[in-house]
Amino acid sequence: MVVLLALLAVPLHAGGGDASGSVDFNREVKPTLAARCFKCHGGVKRKSGLSLLFRDQATARLRSGKRAIVPGEAAASELLRRVTAEDPDERMPPDGKPLTAEQIDALRRWIAAGAPYDTHWSLVPPAKTTLPRLRDSRDVRGAIDVFIAASLEREGIEATRPADRATLIRRLSLDLIGLPPTIDEIDAFENDRSPDAYERLIDRLLASPRFGERWARRWLDLARYADTQGYEKDNRRTIWRYRDWVIDAFNRDLAYDRFTIEQLAGDLLPDAGNNQLLATAFHRNTMTNTEGGTDDEEFRVAAVMDRVNTTWQVWMGTTFGCVQCHSHPYDPFKHEDYYRFLAFLNNTEDSDKPDERPTVATPTPEQSRRIEALERELASARELLGRSTPELAAARQRWTEQIAGARGWTTPRVESATAESDVALRALDDGSLLVAADASAANDAYTLRLEPGDRGRLTALRLEALPHESLPANGPGRAPDGNFVLSGIAVSVVLADGSEERLVELSRARADFEQKDFPVAHVLSNPDVARHGWAVHPQAGKPHEAVFVASSPVELAAGDRLVVRLEHRYGQPEFTLGRFRVSITGDPARVAAGDVPPAVVQAASRAPEERTAEESAELERVFRELAPELAPVRARIAALEKERASIQPPTTPILRELPADRRRTTHVFTRGSFLDPAEAVEPGVPQAMHALDDAPGDRGSGGGASADRLAMARWIASPGNPLTGRVAVNRVWEQLFGIGLVETSEDFGTQGTLPTHPELLDWLAVRFTGDFAWSMKRLLREIVTSAAYRRSSAATPELLARDPKNLLLARGPRLRLEAEMVRDQSLAVSGLLSSTMFGPSVMPPQPDGVWQVVYSGDSWKTSPGADKYRRGLYTFWRRTSPYPSMMAFDATSREYCTIRRLRTNTPLQALVTLNDPVYVEAAQALARRIVREGGRDVASRLRYAFRLCLGRPPVDLEIERLSALVTSELEHFRADADAAHALATSELGPAPEGLDHAELAAWTVVGNVLMNLDEFLTKG
Amino acid sequence: MEPLFESLRETTRRHFFGQCKVGIGAMALASLLAEERRAVAASRAEGSALPGLPHFRPRAKHVIYLHMAGSPPQQELFDHKPALKKHDGQPCPAEYLEGERFAFIKGTPRLLGTPYEFRPHGRSGTLVSELLPNISRCIDDIAVVKSMHTDFFNHAPAQMFLHTGVQRFGNPSMGSWLVYGLGSENRNLPGFVVLVSGGKVPSAGKSVWGSGFLPTIYQGVQCRSSGEPVLYLGDPRGMSRDVRRRSLDAIRDLNRIRYEQHLDPETVTRIGQYEMAFRMQMAVPGAMDIAREPAHVLESYGASPGGASFANNCLLARRLVEQGVRFVQLFDWGWDAHGTGKHDDIIHQLPKKCGETDRPIAALIEDLKNRGLLDDTLIVWSGEFGRTPMNEKRNNSKFLGRDHHPHAFTIWMAGGGVRGGITHGETDELGYFAAEKKVHVHDLQATILHLMGIDHEKLTYRFMGLDQRLTGVTRESHVQHELIA
Repeated sequence: MVVLLALLAVPLHAGGGDASGSVDFNREVKPTLAARCFKCHGGVKRKSGLSLLFRDQATARLRSGKRAIVPGEAAASELLRRVTAEDPDERMPPDGKPLTAEQIDALRRWIAAGAPYDTHWSLVPPAKTTLPRLRDSRDVRGAIDVFIAASLEREGIEATRPADRATLIRRLSLDLIGLPPTIDEIDAFENDRSPDAYERLIDRLLASPRFGERWARRWLDLARYADTQGYEKDNRRTIWRYRDWVIDAFNRDLAYDRFTIEQLAGDLLPDAGNNQLLATAFHRNTMTNTEGGTDDEEFRVAAVMDRVNTTWQVWMGTTFGCVQCHSHPYDPFKHEDYYRFLAFLNNTEDSDKPDERPTVATPTPEQSRRIEALERELASARELLGRSTPELAAARQRWTEQIAGARGWTTPRVESATAESDVALRALDDGSLLVAADASAANDAYTLRLEPGDRGRLTALRLEALPHESLPANGPGRAPDGNFVLSGIAVSVVLADGSEERLVELSRARADFEQKDFPVAHVLSNPDVARHGWAVHPQAGKPHEAVFVASSPVELAAGDRLVVRLEHRYGQPEFTLGRFRVSITGDPARVAAGDVPPAVVQAASRAPEERTAEESAELERVFRELAPELAPVRARIAALEKERASIQPPTTPILRELPADRRRTTHVFTRGSFLDPAEAVEPGVPQAMHALDDAPGDRGSGGGASADRLAMARWIASPGNPLTGRVAVNRVWEQLFGIGLVETSEDFGTQGTLPTHPELLDWLAVRFTGDFAWSMKRLLREIVTSAAYRRSSAATPELLARDPKNLLLARGPRLRLEAEMVRDQSLAVSGLLSSTMFGPSVMPPQPDGVWQVVYSGDSWKTSPGADKYRRGLYTFWRRTSPYPSMMAFDATSREYCTIRRLRTNTPLQALVTLNDPVYVEAAQALARRIVREGGRDVASRLRYAFRLCLGRPPVDLEIERLSALVTSELEHFRADADAAHALATSELGPAPEGLDHAELAAWTVVGNVLMNLDEFLTKG
Repeated sequence: MEPLFESLRETTRRHFFGQCKVGIGAMALASLLAEERRAVAASRAEGSALPGLPHFRPRAKHVIYLHMAGSPPQQELFDHKPALKKHDGQPCPAEYLEGERFAFIKGTPRLLGTPYEFRPHGRSGTLVSELLPNISRCIDDIAVVKSMHTDFFNHAPAQMFLHTGVQRFGNPSMGSWLVYGLGSENRNLPGFVVLVSGGKVPSAGKSVWGSGFLPTIYQGVQCRSSGEPVLYLGDPRGMSRDVRRRSLDAIRDLNRIRYEQHLDPETVTRIGQYEMAFRMQMAVPGAMDIAREPAHVLESYGASPGGASFANNCLLARRLVEQGVRFVQLFDWGWDAHGTGKHDDIIHQLPKKCGETDRPIAALIEDLKNRGLLDDTLIVWSGEFGRTPMNEKRNNSKFLGRDHHPHAFTIWMAGGGVRGGITHGETDELGYFAAEKKVHVHDLQATILHLMGIDHEKLTYRFMGLDQRLTGVTRESHVQHELIA
């Protein structure tokens, strides 16, 4: 491969290594410096005071008085003298082989040319080059193929033939929607002879809702999305709305620049709605530490640093994390650059709090639909309530007369009035009671014994709270501001002979005024007496009244007494009534009127023509709220409102910027320690890159204190950013081909690998950010229509020898499926897979004892019904104990951003797909499917099973081999009914009527074999 | 090179196929069989270790790490502090508290002398607490390090720091590094096995035996003492070993047919891994079955088959090491002696934990010694940090206990080239700070690697643009040569 890359390197950049003897710094010099010199003379270590990282440092006079590089004067440069020194003690580098003659020559020519430090290739904006000319363009479907064919021609390598249609549709389905094609889909594609059959297949897959699920899965690794907070306690976190946002964003092909800006700074967009707020949960996927005694600021800073590192990793393929402790050891980023960038992200409200605030409560699409329906029904019910009919007009007339003529309140004589405390209650002439001014004013309860007089009835009771000059702020309460909080009331009737005391049930209450959050309804039903009750702030100092209505009229005999108890149990003392009066009525009209504001009663008592228009309207409104004729409509409205209020939208942690007066100053931290802050810095982007104000946008900002997170996001999502487009395109390429055009997709810097096809990478990046307007679907379409993508993945010994990793793309991709796809595919071919999308994460079966939770009593509860068959990306993800079978297939714990998953090949994976009950169940379901749908004879069943699982029919040898297995297993299970029963039904449950256990067990073995084939686990 | 790891050693495989490239196209089914055998043989010939490893003659081949999760109080066990007893109940001197942060202690705490007696043991006369009568018996095989210190005082970060060298998640644990560097000796068992007792996993979760940025094959495999010893090890119900064998044969044959068409080396690897899985299915249950031990051995450890206990895990550790497992990691929960109640104090809980562990640990040392395994098996005993010389007295608790303390703690090592019967380092008069021959956590890691024949600065893995290593990239770490015999 060394030879190969060297060959590839020649035509990469115009001007590289041309005849004039100039030298391409990035291709010929920097790799040598990076590999052999930077370790001791770079950002971290500067032996002998020398750093070769930046030109000013490399050319500076050293402590020894020498200069490593004297531009233009190779002979005077200590560097050249040392790398060519004969004496091993003098020669650099001190260990390993000396530099080669070519390397030394390149250094000499470079210094002679003035030692220009060219910008690293990935920091030079990409540009479309003219397409190379090919000798043979038979195998070319588009520009992608031109670039690839050019390098294959240079290498003298022939590409493999196109893959057959069955292979192609399986590859494409797995790549675009993460699921295998059905037999019908394969048939349709194989039989479609129209010239655009493949293109229409692409369009169908790109339009599938499964598309968003498959591509969101990838993004969720980058976003380190999980369902718990991480660290020691690792409590649950509700943030699945973000996962759903990502799925939806891919499905509607949200442009990648907008996708970027919404996630990094959606909250700051001028048109920010719930969707944009949800997007910002991207950076709320950082971990939260709720262990006792931890310093919130320490972990807040850790989260912000993670956001900085993740932003650079995800969008710019740059390992920025090193810069938090020191200048980047290999790339042109300085220590201060890190903290200037951190300043963009350092002013959000979140601060490692257990409750994850700030959060936003947003209805799910399903909830939104229900809310919309409820609102519609409410509107029509309200319309009905307002509708006029002659019957209602007549009823209103009667009602108006009734409330106008209602008898008034009578104030019974107070036989006794006592307080729970020693406070004295003095009766005044008007029947009211006054608390002595000098009495202490703690919580208290007053008990009044009243004489209603002659026989009569009680329908309602009125409590007047009255001012008095002896009370603080004139009362009516005894709190310093004249307020009170009435916590409860109890009314009972004591029979004249004292034989019995009957509690009067009170059904409702109203007051002329209620303090906010202190409604009179609390007096009848108090959720917490220390915090709730009836109060009147800021309307203290004035008289107020509350009316309490009996559930049903109470008949009073002569001599019966009424006992009224008024409770004050508010959390603070002094909030007791200071002067008050209790009146009663027995007139139902009075009760009706009692529900009516006094102003309306007054209006009712006047002739219609004497009422103002407002008074008439108010009269009408109050009537409709009380009229028994309209009770069903009102009940309907109440029920609808109750349901509306019961819809609890899930809350999601989001980013929210601190208000101006609470903004944090960002400091450089010495060696990355938050306990060691140095000088303050203002937000900004690294000096080695394009300026912040190069980013377009309506709030473009020149950097400095005025630059905000939104400006940063726009700076990233700009076609002018040399990294963003390349990194995104490369990631997509990597998903499809297994290896990116830049293999180190996490590192586009000096320590990363060089692009194998730099012109192709740039060409795609320019297409993506320009022609395609950042559309992921258009980018994908462009790549999967290439001939390179459609090639057979079968290797030849020559190809394997020349290019084992397939970097030259002479053959199609062949890769083991990622963890979630392994699961999804097994469930899909067995027919178990649930197509339900979105919602809280689910818990498919997991072995007992995997979750051992130290503090919370949280446990894994297998989701009921079809939820245990949901796609892998909906699996509940606990960071300290992720779903074990997917971890075996290289899923990540999601504690931190993962750019590239490994693709290992281990015995533990074999144990999962052989023995995990989830996969055993899938094999059992597959067996039933084969037996029912696959025909009668073994060969036809095998053909069916092969097409289900692998998308292709078996070859004779394969039929032969599996027929032998079927025969031996049938024989085995016919002889062992218990084993047959167990293997056919253990996970899936009883077999349908008429199916033979031995047969099902034998086919379960076959299903298990098929789902463990290398080909099944591989996209080929 | 062991099959368990061969798939991941891309270089190895490339190397093999590079050598064999000429014949591959013509390979028939029969010859593929031979190729598989040769692949294993070729890789085995390279040795199980990375090229150049070990860097020098190893003193130990295996490690058994006994982690008392929560962290035991050194004052009650090894770090005898008469001054602390003398000043028991007095306020902690102010100069110690300036600028200090504690997990739970508030205000000015009071010193707490140990209620336990210490006596000299062995020829070395090392002072050991009455709580550890059996370990005392083995003291001449043990090197006690009293001057340990760490950078973190919360469980999860401190545990991560101890096992991965970094307090954050995402870095490989010591066992992963060792298996990555040295490979395994048993082709049927994982090279890095984790055993947990006390009912709970450590605070930092499975990340303390994770492989971080190393390939997942190097992560610790948690073997469970109840249920299946390795997840998904058991065949489905109704599937006998014969059926499994026949189905694996079918998988192998079909994979070979496919391989003929595609020539993907991953297919060959997968065939090998399925065989390895089958061997694990056969070997692991036996290796994990302590019922096979004679009664007197069970008795000496206090082990009882079928249960989940620290004693069982100690016995298992010996069985695994005996069969060539490179790194056995034990975690025992319940040592976090804050003194908030009977369940976590030093009067009731600590003696209970000592009772559960003292006898099995002594039995392990003696058993290994009797079998001649102690010489190349390194045993390390530690918590993740120390505990304060002061009584924590959270919410005026009446129970005695100590808060988390990073500045001083005691660990010990035995076997595997360790100089027995010595005490290394001292703390100050009150045992507040490590005072003499201070040993940082990274120094301990460097020393363990050294005993395994590894230069800790040379066992590296490139990640995030840096050559990462167990001892971290920023601090200079020192092998503690005085600990080595």
